[in-house]
Amino acid sequence: MSLSTNTGSVGTPLLPPKGVSARVLGGIAEDATLSAPGVFLIILAFILPIGQMLLLSIEGASGGLTTEHFTRFLGDSYYLGIVWRTLRLSLLITVIAAVIGFPLAYVMAHVGPRLRLWLIILVILPLMTSVVVRTFGWMVLLGRGGLIPFTLWKLGLVNRNFTLMQTESAIVIGMVQVLLPFMTLSVLGVVMKIDRRLEEAARTMGASFTATLRTVVLPLAMPGIVAGSLLVFTLSVSSFITPSLLGGVRLPVVAGSIYEAATKTLEWNFAAAQSVILLVGVFLVLLPYLKLTGRRHG
Amino acid sequence: MSTIIATRRVVLSAGFGLTVALAALTASGATSPAAAREKLVINSYGGAYEQIHRKLVIEPFSKKYDVDVQVITAYSADALAQLRAQKAAPQFDVIHFSGGQEVVAAREGLIAPIKLNELSNGKDLYPFAVEGLSRGEGPVHAVAAIGLLYNKEKAKKPEKWADLWNAQYKDHVVLTDLSNSYGLLGFLMMNKVKGGDITNADPGFNAVKTLLDSAVVVATSPEMQQNFAQNDAWIAPYAQDYAYTLRKAGLPIEFVQGAEGTPAVYLTANLVANRPNQDLAKKFIDFSLSPEVQAGWAQELRYSPTNKATKLDETVAKEVIYGPDAVAGLIRFDPVAVDANRAALVERWKKLIAK
Amino acid sequence: MVKAVPTSVRIATFLFVVLTLVFVLAPLVVVAGVSVSESQFIAFPPNGFSLRWYSAILTSGAYLGAAWTSLKLAVLVTLCATVIGAGAAITLHRRRLPGTVLLAGLFLSPLILPTIIFAIGLLMLWSATFGPVSFTALWIGHTVVALPYVVRTTLAVLAESDPFLEEAAATMGARRWQRLLYVVLPQCLPGLAAGAFFAFNISFDEAVVALFLRTPDLVTLPIQIYNQLEFSPDPSVAAVSTLMIGVTILLILVIDRLLGIQRFTGA
Repeated sequence: MSLSTNTGSVGTPLLPPKGVSARVLGGIAEDATLSAPGVFLIILAFILPIGQMLLLSIEGASGGLTTEHFTRFLGDSYYLGIVWRTLRLSLLITVIAAVIGFPLAYVMAHVGPRLRLWLIILVILPLMTSVVVRTFGWMVLLGRGGLIPFTLWKLGLVNRNFTLMQTESAIVIGMVQVLLPFMTLSVLGVVMKIDRRLEEAARTMGASFTATLRTVVLPLAMPGIVAGSLLVFTLSVSSFITPSLLGGVRLPVVAGSIYEAATKTLEWNFAAAQSVILLVGVFLVLLPYLKLTGRRHG
Repeated sequence: MSTIIATRRVVLSAGFGLTVALAALTASGATSPAAAREKLVINSYGGAYEQIHRKLVIEPFSKKYDVDVQVITAYSADALAQLRAQKAAPQFDVIHFSGGQEVVAAREGLIAPIKLNELSNGKDLYPFAVEGLSRGEGPVHAVAAIGLLYNKEKAKKPEKWADLWNAQYKDHVVLTDLSNSYGLLGFLMMNKVKGGDITNADPGFNAVKTLLDSAVVVATSPEMQQNFAQNDAWIAPYAQDYAYTLRKAGLPIEFVQGAEGTPAVYLTANLVANRPNQDLAKKFIDFSLSPEVQAGWAQELRYSPTNKATKLDETVAKEVIYGPDAVAGLIRFDPVAVDANRAALVERWKKLIAK
Repeated sequence: MVKAVPTSVRIATFLFVVLTLVFVLAPLVVVAGVSVSESQFIAFPPNGFSLRWYSAILTSGAYLGAAWTSLKLAVLVTLCATVIGAGAAITLHRRRLPGTVLLAGLFLSPLILPTIIFAIGLLMLWSATFGPVSFTALWIGHTVVALPYVVRTTLAVLAESDPFLEEAAATMGARRWQRLLYVVLPQCLPGLAAGAFFAFNISFDEAVVALFLRTPDLVTLPIQIYNQLEFSPDPSVAAVSTLMIGVTILLILVIDRLLGIQRFTGA
């Protein structure tokens, strides 16, 4: 997975010719030491346990190899529908989070430090509440007779029984609320490092405020937006508590389906096969996205 | 070069050292000095259930046998998944199930058989409560009857299961997902009422389909509560004990046994295989079967007793399934057949309700 | 600034920020409202006013114990994930190791797979290798889950850093560890701070791995809340959430007073 290739076109720094090989070797040794704890952790505590689970996806009822768990999933329009809903909603959530998160981070970067701190606190507060409780808040606001349906009814836009609960809109609203901090903070970290003089230079040379934003700030903020989007997209693809509570059992998503198969019907082979499919699906979606941003930035 | 790497290693390991020291500190704080007593690990279902479980069974048992009983809050499905993943080194001694999971657990050798004569209360149990012992399952220690919950302030009292399709309840019906054992039993009963059986669920699915446009489908008890409290729900097939829980929370909810019969969820206490403390674990299971404990469950949460010798006062007796005649009217779907069909039923249900 | 930002843009910006905050905070206001309800069950608008749920939590050994467990766990996970993640991100950024792309995939993979599969796999492997699960198992599990966040945010910040700074330091005779400590790490700080914050939150809010790796002595706050909600939901969970909001704000302000949080957000 080439998830890191989008992070800019920074190469190995130029080095003086004298003692090159020693330096290069030293660099490799340094980097190997730096990454060793992480590599050990991931291989022993992630790849190993996950590998043994994913192997279940090709294990048949009597122990032999089989593709039945995959064909059961891929040959069924119901499951393909779930995949489609998951990817569609996750992309929508990511786009909305980016559209809100980028300007928000930009504003945060340009206000005073005290106000910035308060804005950060307010944006991350949803993360500090239990997902179930937070979701209850949305149920009150979106449910039958809740604040939003009630207002819409008063405005004459919908009928009295209108509810936003158990709709895809509810899933998107609830997910954007809780994933927004991931996007905003990712972008903020990058926007804060952009040299203000670049913006000033553009403005001096006559670029309007929006043009400066578009041609100077946005391209420079891209790594942050990409990092944030990756977080938001992968998190929304693999979450199931918020979608199942706000969308209800009638709007299933892949992660929820995996959870059900793993705990409710105990079909671990099938759960593993679904995980593999999810993994591949996410990768296929991210690939062109990474290439796109990589080209724009490189 | 090597000294530099060594320096870096010192910096890194200083970070690790700090965290390991912290961990050691927390570990030393976690171990209690009472480790000398015999220990028993069980699961309970959390919330009010667990409070009562502690009061009726866990604390008296600890006192009587001078045992340290430790509780892990885990619902049946989670507990079974955990037990299965831990097969190499199980941590439970006694595991309670409420959704028929004991069939799977026994088949996979996760739980060990108990003989009837090993239970002092065994002779007093209704036959249905010990029927599973022959398959290697544990005894039934409580029963949750499934019927119709309705809001007595807003809706007319229903009489039979077929009333669910009555037009007067339209837009106010709540159904429960089949991944929930109350939901599964409710569905099997609707299927039976409409003329189906466990191997032929077409009538049930067809009948549910006609309700779907105007019904809400929930998956958990809290969602059920929220629908009655917040969302104008009037009627739902669900469990007798939960109707009592809702009543205690101040909601005007009553429980009705459908005229066509009353299915039930059977709560079992099972002996976990490959654990050192099996004799003590059997004593614990036996303790759960005593008439006093079962009377307590009925009194506190309206679970029906499985011990014939249980004595209940009149108010409580009316709100549970009590006495040989009432018990004889209980419907039990063959647990082995239910288990064999569960995955297929759940999948078909999901396809039916998906929008 | 050369030309002032147009007034219309200023007004639009102000409205945008206010609306976003309303959107983000509205459900939390509801939760805070529920937490002072007198009634047994969760409902909004609250019936009456009472602080009974707060006193119920603050006198409950189960909640306090779980909060303490979660706090210890989150602190340890944050420390580990940040230290390990910093090393990983710096390596990935420099691209001197062969197979960097593969390495990047390795470090970010825990983000993509549903944690349920990881949780079951880890429990199976741990039980087969070490026997009963323990605090250490959960600590390792959460560190794995939190690691990609640190790597991701740090990489993004490094991508915008000046590659010639380290080179300049080298030219002026700085040793490797000096360059790492005084040049590279300071550049990583905003990313590490964001990553550490995410790591803390992920660990503090994570419920799936914690669900599978729990023992009688090892119950985290999200699991305690889940336990309460599943069987008999009452406003105590709303009170816990409201308290957590309050504590978070307090904590951030205290840290800011002591250390100056602006440093980490790059001001």
